[in-house]
Amino acid sequence: MAIEIKLPSVAAGMEEATLVRWVKSEGESVAKGETLAELETDKAVMEVEAEASGVLGRVLVPGDTDGVPVGTVIGVLMEPGEEASALANYPAEPPAAAEPSPAGAPDGAPADTPRSDRADTAPVPRSPRAAEGAEGRVFASPLARRLAAERGIALEGLAGSGPHGRIVRLDVERARDSAPAAVAAPAEETVAASSERVETIPHSGMRKTIARRLSESKQQVPHFYLTIDCLLDELLALRERLNAKGERAEPRYRLSVNDFVAFAAARALRRVPEVNASWSDEAIRQYRDVDICVAVATSGGLVTPVVREADRKGLATLSGEIRELAHRARDGRLAPADYQGGGFTISNLGMYGVREFAAIVNPPQAAILAVGAVEKRPVVRDDQLAVGSLMTLTLSADHRVVDGAVGARFLAELKVLLEDPLELLV
Amino acid sequence: MPRSRKLTVQAPWRELATTERDWQRADASLLATTLVSLHLIRAFEEKVLELAGQGLVHGPAHSSIGQEGGAVGSALALRSSDQINGSHRAHHQFLAKSLHFVAPQGLDPAQPVSDSTQALLQRTLAEIMGLSQGFCRGRGGSMHLRWADAGVLGTNAIVGGGVPMAAGAAWAHRRAGTGDVAVTYFGDGAVNIGSVLETMNLAAAWKLPLCFFIENNRYAVSTEVGEVTAEARLSSRGQAFGIPAWKVDGMDPLAVHLAMQEALAIMREGGGPTLIEADVYRFFHQNGPLPGSAFGYRTKEEEAEWRERDPLDRVAKAMVERRLIDEAGVAGLRERARSAMERAAAELLDTGGKKPAVRADLWPSPDFRDAHVRGDLSELASARYVEQEAYGGTLEPRKFVDSVAEVMHRRMESDERIVVMGEDVHRLKGGTNGATRGLAQAFPGRCLGTPISENAFVGLGGGIAMDGRYRPVVEFMYPDFMWVAADQVFNQIAKARHMFGGDSAMPLVLRTKVAMGTGYGSQHSMDPAGIFATSPGWRIVAPSTPYDYVGLMNSALQCEDPVLVIEHTDLYNAKFPSPVDDLDYCIPLGKAKVVRPGRDVTVLTYLSMVAPCIEAAERLGVDAEVIDLRSLDRAGLDWETIGDSIRRTNNVLVVEQGSLGTAYGVLLGDEVQRRFLDWLDQPVQRVHGGEASPSISQVLERAACAGPEEIEAGMRQVMAAQGRPLD
Repeated sequence: MAIEIKLPSVAAGMEEATLVRWVKSEGESVAKGETLAELETDKAVMEVEAEASGVLGRVLVPGDTDGVPVGTVIGVLMEPGEEASALANYPAEPPAAAEPSPAGAPDGAPADTPRSDRADTAPVPRSPRAAEGAEGRVFASPLARRLAAERGIALEGLAGSGPHGRIVRLDVERARDSAPAAVAAPAEETVAASSERVETIPHSGMRKTIARRLSESKQQVPHFYLTIDCLLDELLALRERLNAKGERAEPRYRLSVNDFVAFAAARALRRVPEVNASWSDEAIRQYRDVDICVAVATSGGLVTPVVREADRKGLATLSGEIRELAHRARDGRLAPADYQGGGFTISNLGMYGVREFAAIVNPPQAAILAVGAVEKRPVVRDDQLAVGSLMTLTLSADHRVVDGAVGARFLAELKVLLEDPLELLV
Repeated sequence: MPRSRKLTVQAPWRELATTERDWQRADASLLATTLVSLHLIRAFEEKVLELAGQGLVHGPAHSSIGQEGGAVGSALALRSSDQINGSHRAHHQFLAKSLHFVAPQGLDPAQPVSDSTQALLQRTLAEIMGLSQGFCRGRGGSMHLRWADAGVLGTNAIVGGGVPMAAGAAWAHRRAGTGDVAVTYFGDGAVNIGSVLETMNLAAAWKLPLCFFIENNRYAVSTEVGEVTAEARLSSRGQAFGIPAWKVDGMDPLAVHLAMQEALAIMREGGGPTLIEADVYRFFHQNGPLPGSAFGYRTKEEEAEWRERDPLDRVAKAMVERRLIDEAGVAGLRERARSAMERAAAELLDTGGKKPAVRADLWPSPDFRDAHVRGDLSELASARYVEQEAYGGTLEPRKFVDSVAEVMHRRMESDERIVVMGEDVHRLKGGTNGATRGLAQAFPGRCLGTPISENAFVGLGGGIAMDGRYRPVVEFMYPDFMWVAADQVFNQIAKARHMFGGDSAMPLVLRTKVAMGTGYGSQHSMDPAGIFATSPGWRIVAPSTPYDYVGLMNSALQCEDPVLVIEHTDLYNAKFPSPVDDLDYCIPLGKAKVVRPGRDVTVLTYLSMVAPCIEAAERLGVDAEVIDLRSLDRAGLDWETIGDSIRRTNNVLVVEQGSLGTAYGVLLGDEVQRRFLDWLDQPVQRVHGGEASPSISQVLERAACAGPEEIEAGMRQVMAAQGRPLD
């Protein structure tokens, strides 16, 4: 029996992926568990493994195809000895590989088969949803679905104001009105008109996800911002002493300032658990574990892998985990479990010399901490001007979950922990 | 000790039998035509049974073999302009009347079958086989044979169902003063059904030239007549209604002929209806080629006795005795009749295969399925349509019900064909509500108070409409009475055009009033729109203003289809700007009207709920687009107007007053979601009454009906579901 190779769903909420390349080619033998193809989702690159040993009989979706819906049959695996006639039901020629879209195509997207299929069925909930289980089902009125599809608005992030949370026209229109669609449209025309001078970079899955999630966050989450300076002289001294030991330790470790920030933030979250929470229409969900996301810049875009139970881990362990996650993220090798969940995020741009910045809350979390560079700045000590190593932290918080005083209390706790590292021991 | 006095009935009731002398004196040509007709019908029926046995007749083959004498003897007494109808066993009646039509000069047993007779046999057989060359294009089949030219109104599969329709034809004959009559044939099984008894009463009351012809073949399928009635001499029924009646041996065609001649003399002179009971016998079972004895409800001996009295032999014997024919002549006639049927069947069959099959090219096309469910409204092509906004005449505040009477007055004045009938429509200053005020005085003989027998009088109206010379306007005092008249309303009037092949019109207007709010309780308080809308054939209008009423009634009275005009007691006495001088404009059937433009929700409503919907929208500040549907039947829904609105508002609220179970909104909601799903922001929402029929208690009645509060609740719900709650 020929086995259909379907695009797998590896994470809740995953709808589609880019089929990056086929590792095996048609006619090639594969062993069970061997990699057949590589996928890129909005978060990571994954591998499609052979369910059984056999021969890759047919490639139905070529490499470099964007937006392949979960569940799509991308190829066919034949069992050893199976006749090619088993493939009679599958087209002999794979659809043309991605090519530049014809002139006038509205979004400049590759005119490949899966995409055009999606366009035809756009207003209809795609079958892969069923695989997501009841919780993944998005309830939207038929009109809302159609309008969202027409306007390129993802229903998934929208809050529904109809019965049972059904997304209705109003919700799609609000999303449209608050999105920069009006600006984007003429900009696209300009791009098309001057294509010789502009390189068009098709959206990767990750880019689309970043765009969608952060747009939704900025549009829908009532942000407020709290900024605090921390004097790090003692912490830097401690770090120096520890790193000296770390060079000789087994395994070796080398602690960054950011490791200390994460370590301290985990403890501050334990002290002010109201910040370790998220918003939903029914209730505020406060997390029992302290799972902290760490923003990592990669060539493909921003990812936020999670350090689980960060408050229960030693500094060296925490540091090692963060380093490993960042490494995997840059290689595009994060597993879905590596980036799902988390109650709080830390983003650090200090290495670029950025003094301070305000980050966008990472939904559904209620807060994100933006960490600036450690700088020597003038400080007043005992009414005397002196030089101190200062770092500016900015907390962006969802006011629906975190009131101003709660956010301030969290920052105050964090400041104490960072300025007086002995506090970290208790 | 009370005194008692013997009472007698007035109507004569007698048994008529022929003597030898009658046979000797009978016209030779009459006997010859009788013999040929009997033989052609016998051969026809034998061929039908043969084809049925080969599976070539789809559906029942109700054979008349054995009982041809009643039909032939009576039909030969009729003239072409007289009309007949019959029931499920009617091949012989249809052929007897039609043969007499194609060969009015008579039929000669020595002559070959003529082309016109051959064509009649073939077309009749084709109809029974469901083929497009049949008289009803194959739609009617064995039980729905109609040939208007020959005076066959259409036979009927509902026992007794055709009887009221025949009374309508008789009414038209009487009104036209032609002296023509209608004969309605039915069996012993139909004698006890309401349609027949109600029509006997009505026809006698109105002195209609209608002959109730009972073919008493003694068995209703397998039930013997004595089992189901205490008076098995069925011609006795005439006594109760003052109808002269004859009992006659139906195996003796001459006896039947003589009885029919006596009956015709009465009917043509305006003496009212007559009744003939002909004792006949079907040699076979109800259906198919086996004798009844095979099913155990009668004996072989009984069958043998009746076969001895075969009407074919009876006529042949008399003619041989008078040397009008010899044995060889009879055998030759028999042979010619059988070969005529062989030829007719051969034209319809493909015998090239292993088994004979129907010639494939003769079937009707499947896309003919829904053709002729209703007419094409071409009769309204030159109608003058004027909406209220464009009205050039004078509008004055008047009560709604005054316009109801006035437009009918105006139409009856300008159109002699219109006749109004219903319970008390001629008295009480225009019926129970004044809707027919002044009509009886202004138009004597055209505003008729009926007995309380809705099935008979609406069926009679259907018969008048189908006849075509007059246009009946029938009133049901309350809509719930449609259940009493359900056979005539839904099986007969609604289906006639389609069932009989599409050539017959049914220009009948049925008026009724919704009376929710008057305390008339569970059996007088329905809104009939939902039920009528399930019945293909009916058009339905439900005007909310006198202006629209006048225009829609004018269209309805021109329309060649049955139109239900729904009125409402809540509207009757309310005052509206009403047309007073020009009462001749029309409003299109099938055109809705936006009565309040808006953006938030499309409210689809009609009749008495239109104004409350507008008021509720204003009270709540909901920018509702209120559409007065006006036409409610499936073909009359104005999808252009409705669709345009839904595409703008994306939300739909269907508002009606009446009960859940019979609600009109079911059909509407279903159609809306199928047509406009991708424009809907929520399910089609509905406002309607409770599950129970409204009770008499004022509080319970109010609770059972939808009113302003329920409309408000519906509007609140429809706004909340958009994410825009009103509070």
